[in-house]
Amino acid sequence: MQKFFRKLLANFKEYITLVVLLLISLFLLSINNNPGIERFRAISFGTFAYVTSTVHSITNIFKSDTETARLRLENAELMLEVNKLRNHALQNEHLRKMLEMKDTLAYNLLAADVISKLTSKIEGNFIINVGSKHGVEVGMPVINEQGLVGLIIGTAADFSSVRTLENISLNVAVTNQRSGINGILSWNGQRHVIKNIPTTFDMQIGDRIETSEFSTILPPAIPVGIIVEKETEVSGLLSFIYVKPFANVQAVKNLFVVRFVKNTQIDTLETNLLKRIK
Amino acid sequence: MKKEYINYFLIFIPTLILQLALVPLISIDHFTPDLIVILLVYFTLSEGQLHGTIAGALLGFLFDLFSGNLLGLSMFSKTIAAFTAGYFYNENKIEANMAVMNFSLIVFLSAFIDSFFNGIFTDNQSVGIVFMIFEKSLFPAIYTSVVGALIIISLPKRKFL
Repeated sequence: MQKFFRKLLANFKEYITLVVLLLISLFLLSINNNPGIERFRAISFGTFAYVTSTVHSITNIFKSDTETARLRLENAELMLEVNKLRNHALQNEHLRKMLEMKDTLAYNLLAADVISKLTSKIEGNFIINVGSKHGVEVGMPVINEQGLVGLIIGTAADFSSVRTLENISLNVAVTNQRSGINGILSWNGQRHVIKNIPTTFDMQIGDRIETSEFSTILPPAIPVGIIVEKETEVSGLLSFIYVKPFANVQAVKNLFVVRFVKNTQIDTLETNLLKRIK
Repeated sequence: MKKEYINYFLIFIPTLILQLALVPLISIDHFTPDLIVILLVYFTLSEGQLHGTIAGALLGFLFDLFSGNLLGLSMFSKTIAAFTAGYFYNENKIEANMAVMNFSLIVFLSAFIDSFFNGIFTDNQSVGIVFMIFEKSLFPAIYTSVVGALIIISLPKRKFL
């Protein structure tokens, strides 16, 4: 019997090794959300990010300019301000009295640089050079001077990982700024699309899309993109709305983290409400 | 431990830095070459399937760890990629396998398998299987094999270790 096993091991050692290693990797995949593993990942990724950050700063040695950084920050703040004013102008036409109640948003921006891009056609991720030490938390939105870029999905002390808009795992609740129609924006690997919008809903080419108040992860009124195409599905009942983001995610280098985390109390209330309805 | 293994490991660190910090600069419409796969195929063709498979798991694990990726994702795909490359290992044909054409074809196959299995664990409901094969796997594999061919051409006497 022992001889048989020894022979089996000798003959199939490559296959046995493969199976064992694949099982280990599957096991690791299954425990990614374990707090201990998350902490371990954050430490190791944060440590290595110092190295990539150094390489990045060497490659960008001629590009560092504090004045440019200041102007970029100002641009981003103005972009958010303009979008807010645009909202106010639209609301002003209908709800003049309610305008003051709405105008309470203030954004706290933190400048950051992309030090590494892990991009593929369907999974865009960045590593940026600000982390929990700077007040960055998981769930904070990331923008540039043009609009929404992504969302923080992991933080180390000095670095954070960002899931970009060009990642099929990121679905964003958005709203049409003009008509107020809500939908879910997702990346299909080639384009950004809001699926399953009834054809009777008012969504026109050229309408601006921004983050929705109903989003559980993002603050409202961050510009996302513009409607470039409307496609009706075979049944004729639903439309696919194609959106071109304002931010060029592939080319982005300088970003801002919006220090905003959705109020957990609202989430708790929503969850409780859903439980009651069920 | 063989001296070559330590050399390979020492090469892996700068390769990883290049992969994370500089390779995105040469991306063509999202497609980037995978230098880790090229190194892995070179190692497997030199040292054999068993050693290659273990190296695939180890390098994949380290890549996941240092890139902030899901832990186990690259470990899984690179283990299978190295195992596949190992089928081409033959002690008497190492020189032939390191020839530009053969090497780039093996790199292409391994990179394709690596990207494909890497994509399987992502939420691919919104991307079809054809998209997965072409956009996610085929084009990056072609790019990786071209870079692999360039590396093997540029190596002095076709050997760096």
